Amino acid sequence: MSEESNLSRRKFLAKATVGIGGAITALIGIPAIIYVVGPVLKKEGDSGWMRIGPTSKVTPGTPTLFSIKIERETGWVTNQQDIMVYVYTDDGRNYAAMSNICTHLACRVRWIEERQEFFCPCHNGVFDKHGNVLAGPPPRPLDRFELKTENDEIFIKVG
Amino acid sequence: MLNRFSNWLDARTGWRNIWEGIFLRKVPKVNWLYTLGSASLFIVVNQVVTGILLTIYYVPNPDHAYDSVQYITTQVALGWLIRGLHHWGASAMVVLVFLHMLRVIFLGSYKFPREVTWFSGVVLFLVTIGFGFTGYLLPWDEKAYWATTVGTQIAGTPPVIGDVALRILRGGEDLTAMTLVRFFGMHVWVLPAILLSLVGLHVYLVIKHGISTTPKRGEIKHE
Repeated sequence: MSEESNLSRRKFLAKATVGIGGAITALIGIPAIIYVVGPVLKKEGDSGWMRIGPTSKVTPGTPTLFSIKIERETGWVTNQQDIMVYVYTDDGRNYAAMSNICTHLACRVRWIEERQEFFCPCHNGVFDKHGNVLAGPPPRPLDRFELKTENDEIFIKVG
Repeated sequence: MLNRFSNWLDARTGWRNIWEGIFLRKVPKVNWLYTLGSASLFIVVNQVVTGILLTIYYVPNPDHAYDSVQYITTQVALGWLIRGLHHWGASAMVVLVFLHMLRVIFLGSYKFPREVTWFSGVVLFLVTIGFGFTGYLLPWDEKAYWATTVGTQIAGTPPVIGDVALRILRGGEDLTAMTLVRFFGMHVWVLPAILLSLVGLHVYLVIKHGISTTPKRGEIKHE
């Protein structure tokens, strides 16, 4: 074998090693990414309209806290999750349902009766009774649920 | 550009020496049986990668172990592939490591100056068996449960030390959550730590000594 053909054989083998090695890495690497990311991309089921309680519980002018339990499938486990909703009405006819999750970084806000505002203890976010931001870092008003009333019962739509 | 970068890196790390030492070293003319060690190493990499991926969903707890494995196999995208690679890779590893050992025995590669390579290989073989034994329990199905019941019961048969050995393996009198979680700990922490350090030593020695040549006829001297 001449010097030159020796060299090309060596180069060919080096290239083949890198090529096959790269192919094997891709063959396991790409499925690995899909495997890790896959379940996260699945859409969570829509729970639809949920009854949260009677309109009579809500005093006009004061946000009232309702709590409902929904079933959520996470992986192979079905567990109950609490959803907390503040329902507010000015006139006893038009109702609004606000999430108690702070729009800043998802701590839970609570209604402080004496100060007539929602307060988030994590970073001092303050909202008024309609959920509008009064002070602190929250970027937007409290999130709202779709709401309807039927026969003096309040329903919200849980996504 | 790429050349300048590799020069820059070489001046700071000396990677070329290492690269040449590992991949461009001279090897004697041998046969395909001499690839069994590399094949074993390849499977080790496969087991490490797929094993790490499996721990993303697997839960070593009797309430969740079986369900989480079923979830991986039937629900997770390509979960069947990752688990399958780990499952079949495990069997392949035992077979390949065993054949590799037979090759070393029959072609006399364990002799001077390669005794330490051989000893580390013996421990690596035992570690491989340990991986198989502990990994078999983790799916927590009927087969796993009873296989481990029998396996640990066998450890309990020798006189004097048998009872203690069985209790140490099971983490108590019976096969319980204690057994599952300690098998898991062995399988993903203790054994991999031993395996990876010994593989490092083993491969270092292979490179240091170079691979042995095939024995030739007519080399035996009669005085």
